[in-house]
Amino acid sequence: MPLDTSTYSLALLRIDGRRWNDLRRLHAQVHTQEAADGSSYLEMGHTKVMCVVTGPAEPQAGQQKRGTTGGGGAAAGGALGAGQKDAASIVVNVVVAGFSSVDRKRRGRNDRRIQEMEITIQKALAANLHTHLFPHSTITVSLHVLSQDGSLLAALINATTLALIDAGIPMTDYITACTAGSTSSYAAGDDSADPLLDLNTQEEQELPFLTVATLGDSDKVAVLVCESRVQVSRLEGMLVVGVDGCRQVRRLLDGIVRAKGSKMIKEGVVQRSDVMAVSLEE
Amino acid sequence: MTSLKRPQGSDQLAHNISNKVYVRSTRSGKVQKIVREVYLRTDIPCSSNLCRACLSQAPRNAVNQALPFVLSARPAGTKSYPQGHYLVPDTNALLNAMDLFEQSSSFYDVIILQTVLEELKNRSLPLYNRLVGLTKSEDKRFYVFFNEFRLETYVNREANETVNDRNDRAVRQAVKWYGEHLALTKAARVPAVVMLSDDRENLRKAREQGLQASSLADYVSELEDGDRLLDMIAESQLQAQGGFKPSTQPLYPEYYTSSRMITGVKAGLLHQGIFNVSPYNYLEGSIKVPAFPKPLLILGRENINRSIDGDVVVVELLPQDQWKSPSTKIIEEDTITKNENADTEERQDFISDKERKALQEEVKRTQKATGENQLQPTAKVVGVVKRNWRQYVGHIDPSTASKAPSQGRRLDSVFLIPMDKKIPKIRLRTRQVSELLGKRLLVTVDSWDRDSRHPVGHLVRSLGELETKAAETEALLLEWDVQYRPFPKTVLDCLPKEGHDWRVPESKEDPGWRDREDLRDLLICSIDPPGCQDIDDALHARLLPNGNYEVGVHIADVSHFVKPANAMDTEASIRGTTVYLVDKRIDMLPMLLGTDLCSLKPYVERFAFTVIWELDENADIVNVRFTKSVIKSREAFSYEQAQLRIDDASQQDDLTKGMRMLLMLSKKLKKKRMDAGALSLSSPEIKVHMESESSDPIDVKTKELLDTNSLVEEFMLFANVSVAAKIYEAFPQTAILRRHAAPPKTNFDELADQLRIKRGLELRTDSSKALADSLDKCVDPKEPFFNTLVRIMATRCMMSAEYFCSGTQAYPEFRHYGLASEIYTHFTSPIRRYADLLAHRQLAAAIGYEAVHPSVRSRGRLEAVCKNINVRHRNAQMAGRASIAYYVGQALKGKVAEEEAFVMKIFSNGFVVLVPRFGIEGLIRLRDLAEPEPESEYDAETYTLTTKGERSVRVELFQKVVVRVHDDKDERTGKRGVKMELVSA
Repeated sequence: MPLDTSTYSLALLRIDGRRWNDLRRLHAQVHTQEAADGSSYLEMGHTKVMCVVTGPAEPQAGQQKRGTTGGGGAAAGGALGAGQKDAASIVVNVVVAGFSSVDRKRRGRNDRRIQEMEITIQKALAANLHTHLFPHSTITVSLHVLSQDGSLLAALINATTLALIDAGIPMTDYITACTAGSTSSYAAGDDSADPLLDLNTQEEQELPFLTVATLGDSDKVAVLVCESRVQVSRLEGMLVVGVDGCRQVRRLLDGIVRAKGSKMIKEGVVQRSDVMAVSLEE
Repeated sequence: MTSLKRPQGSDQLAHNISNKVYVRSTRSGKVQKIVREVYLRTDIPCSSNLCRACLSQAPRNAVNQALPFVLSARPAGTKSYPQGHYLVPDTNALLNAMDLFEQSSSFYDVIILQTVLEELKNRSLPLYNRLVGLTKSEDKRFYVFFNEFRLETYVNREANETVNDRNDRAVRQAVKWYGEHLALTKAARVPAVVMLSDDRENLRKAREQGLQASSLADYVSELEDGDRLLDMIAESQLQAQGGFKPSTQPLYPEYYTSSRMITGVKAGLLHQGIFNVSPYNYLEGSIKVPAFPKPLLILGRENINRSIDGDVVVVELLPQDQWKSPSTKIIEEDTITKNENADTEERQDFISDKERKALQEEVKRTQKATGENQLQPTAKVVGVVKRNWRQYVGHIDPSTASKAPSQGRRLDSVFLIPMDKKIPKIRLRTRQVSELLGKRLLVTVDSWDRDSRHPVGHLVRSLGELETKAAETEALLLEWDVQYRPFPKTVLDCLPKEGHDWRVPESKEDPGWRDREDLRDLLICSIDPPGCQDIDDALHARLLPNGNYEVGVHIADVSHFVKPANAMDTEASIRGTTVYLVDKRIDMLPMLLGTDLCSLKPYVERFAFTVIWELDENADIVNVRFTKSVIKSREAFSYEQAQLRIDDASQQDDLTKGMRMLLMLSKKLKKKRMDAGALSLSSPEIKVHMESESSDPIDVKTKELLDTNSLVEEFMLFANVSVAAKIYEAFPQTAILRRHAAPPKTNFDELADQLRIKRGLELRTDSSKALADSLDKCVDPKEPFFNTLVRIMATRCMMSAEYFCSGTQAYPEFRHYGLASEIYTHFTSPIRRYADLLAHRQLAAAIGYEAVHPSVRSRGRLEAVCKNINVRHRNAQMAGRASIAYYVGQALKGKVAEEEAFVMKIFSNGFVVLVPRFGIEGLIRLRDLAEPEPESEYDAETYTLTTKGERSVRVELFQKVVVRVHDDKDERTGKRGVKMELVSA
């Protein structure tokens, strides 16, 4: 097997050649599906995900049922459930393709890890979308994982943000996410460990890491998930790097959205007058 | 429709992202295709101190520090490269000659390419670890250049190109880039970048490209001590240049393929285990496998099939009609293969006549043996899973060296006889036979091919003249893998800055005093062997107003000075234990701590970790507590002094009274322990007396045991048990404990049988209590030593105690068989044992003194540490014994002594005796009794050996005999050993 994460200290290089504070290549497209209300495709390194947003729409009978039984994951969003009259409910579905990881393992809908990701995303959206504008309706976010190489939750959140923008659903700001880790494992207890940004699968397996999502350019944390054991002393450093990474991701996503917007205007899809308030050529 | 397809070139990053695709198979046999991103960069520095450009853009870590540059601006040169040179070895060069790169005389300024490092990791993990060790050493100046991540040096695998060719091309590309890059520095003396390789094709292509390239042998021969270094290149590649003449046909059967072995083991047709060689017969090995209660025997060279002691091998069972009982004959390699020639393999028959004869006699004998149940299954080795080769110490068999004065640089083949009798002779080729004769040598085994009778190795270095103290000591340290190098600077940096001037802080406000009890007014003393410098423990006792006793055991607070996971801690965890040799101590912790700051020396204040019990009249625990403390020992006694003081009725001071209390309580504790079934086992303990000035050994004495020895021992055991219970309560999953498994009943079969037949005694082994009781009954009224002898032999049937992490065993398995304690740990010697240091940290966390450090609660890490310290502990014991054996030999030098001895083991052509006075065992062969070897008859049923003819004697097991002990230097092997002769039986 090629080198592992222990060689970082030799030349301050990670296993894929990045520095501690480098993001992987982030590539994204907005509005990939004509028929959908909002759609996006996003790659963070080899993690590739697709997102389709439907709605706001009238809740379907089936969804309402799911919402109340709570079986279907994120639909069980508590106070914001489909039965609520004064705000839209949010349903998040994540489907992980069998071919997305190396071992071709099929993950069912009831997989606990997938459910947890659905709930995490649902909660983050519920807090930051202006759902009160769409009473008696449902916003459905369908996420498809095509390929996995670490930072999966972060990629899902970023793709969701793009698709929601594409669907034109009002929200307070971009929700952008990325992962942050540390160069030595918990047990090694190495005090001089560097924090790391944007981990790939191998790093996630060997090192402690967390996923953080922030709101726009601010320091407001929308999501913070950490499942590995890590020293408290290192957590702050990791968080700082992670939040900084989120800002970088936001700049990249913003660029993509703006490029797409100006293209749409050039092609005449949108009336120039509709967007007067926004300066496009910045 | 929008297409998801990305147009080329839309992404500025695209040209420096590449993918690495490889296929790997998992343990379960699945094949996985892994795709990884590779980010190519232009900011990976060349790390030469000549280069300004790289320095300015060197990468920085999170706290904005750049790594210092490694390669010297003025590297050393050779004849071919007078301007100085950086070396770039390829993988083969490192595989063949890692020892060269570890030389201190040359091989500086080496660039290790990432390609090479990865390849080496795949080929050999130990070599990889050694290389990583080299890159971390500051003075060797090894730099790892991540060529696969640098845009200019990244090489894509082409269609139809093998991985090896691609890697070779990557190495050449990196060499080329380095050359061009260094030329840009415009330095006055640009060093040459020299590729070292043993692959001719690679060398040729490099020269074609105009690169500097050299084979290892060519390069080394230009160095000053080229001849010496040439010997260190592994044999395999010399062979290609016409080394040993390969014999025409393979001598050994071929190994099975690994897939065949795996399926065979899974199906239960083959068995896997660790190969052990019998210490008395080099042609007999055994392997313990789970499928059989008795170990499988492996007899003969062909069945052993190139396994060396310690290898993990796979064996196939032989048909039942070939099953045998274990050998009762001594077969030593040196006597049988004495006349072999190392240079030629002319001997056609692979099993020599002598060997065949020795084996045949065996077979005859076993067929005579009646008892069916005596037979043991036999097996043959069909494959090796893992070689456990290490470096071996030995000396050249002078009879294999050519007598003619060696002329210049002629290559000679010689045999090296390893010190360890279980290791076969190793063939090596050298140009310096005359210099190496009579020296202790360190060698590495490179390979053992089917067509070679003996393994082939190469010289690592010479340790010095045989029988000199320095060489022999170093030899045994190497042989037992004891880390004896001085502590590196990074470790010494962890010591307190004050050095020897460190004092317990005066002000109790100091953070060092936090949560510490002030026990300076207690009358504490320590009792140790005379001359002990690292005092781990001290004791006190006093009467409480309620009539109970307060007893305190105070242990040096090492964990105060050695913080978890720093360099010193890591080093200590690797060393695992302090090793005591007769004249030398190899410390686990630096001297400053071990013998001064931690050591509980008298009259000074020291930090300690204290266990305080309240005991009642019967030495039952009323309560116990643990605390960090500050103590001041009043006196450091030796066992003898303490005994005198206790016995001296005129001494009526409080300290002496306290010691008497301790003695009284310790006797009660011991009684309780014995009643519970603790064993008192025995091993011959002796002490070598040295002349104080020259430290030459002058006399050997058995150690005397006083009451005070057992006083200290009892309280240490008591403390260990209390601490074990406490840390297990606090950390049910991760407590560091020590267990001693009950021995399997079959272990005692032989001894029980011998005792029953020879003395009519019964050895009961159903519990430790029964064993202890029946051992007590094994007495011979005429011979007081008989009991000790039986105990020594019983000890050898035991399992060895081991450290473990509590989560890995069920509670009933925690039991310490020998001490008859439910739970046990080591807590009382943190200066010399790493396990104790861990127990200290866990106890400190358990009493809430400090937060628990992650390294002492991560189970995976603790298990790894346990594994290491178990090995180290055993090795340290072995090294200690070997050291005593060596000095006993030296003490006897030039003397002849007639001593009483007892027969411990009988073979059909000899027997083993134990001499109690020296604590040594010796082998007496029949052929030593008279010349020619007397005819003999061996009765395995009654363990009796009778000889007829010129000298007729009758030797029985357990018999007392008189032997003449003298030192003897074997002219042929150059080994000095103790030789025994039978005087009367």
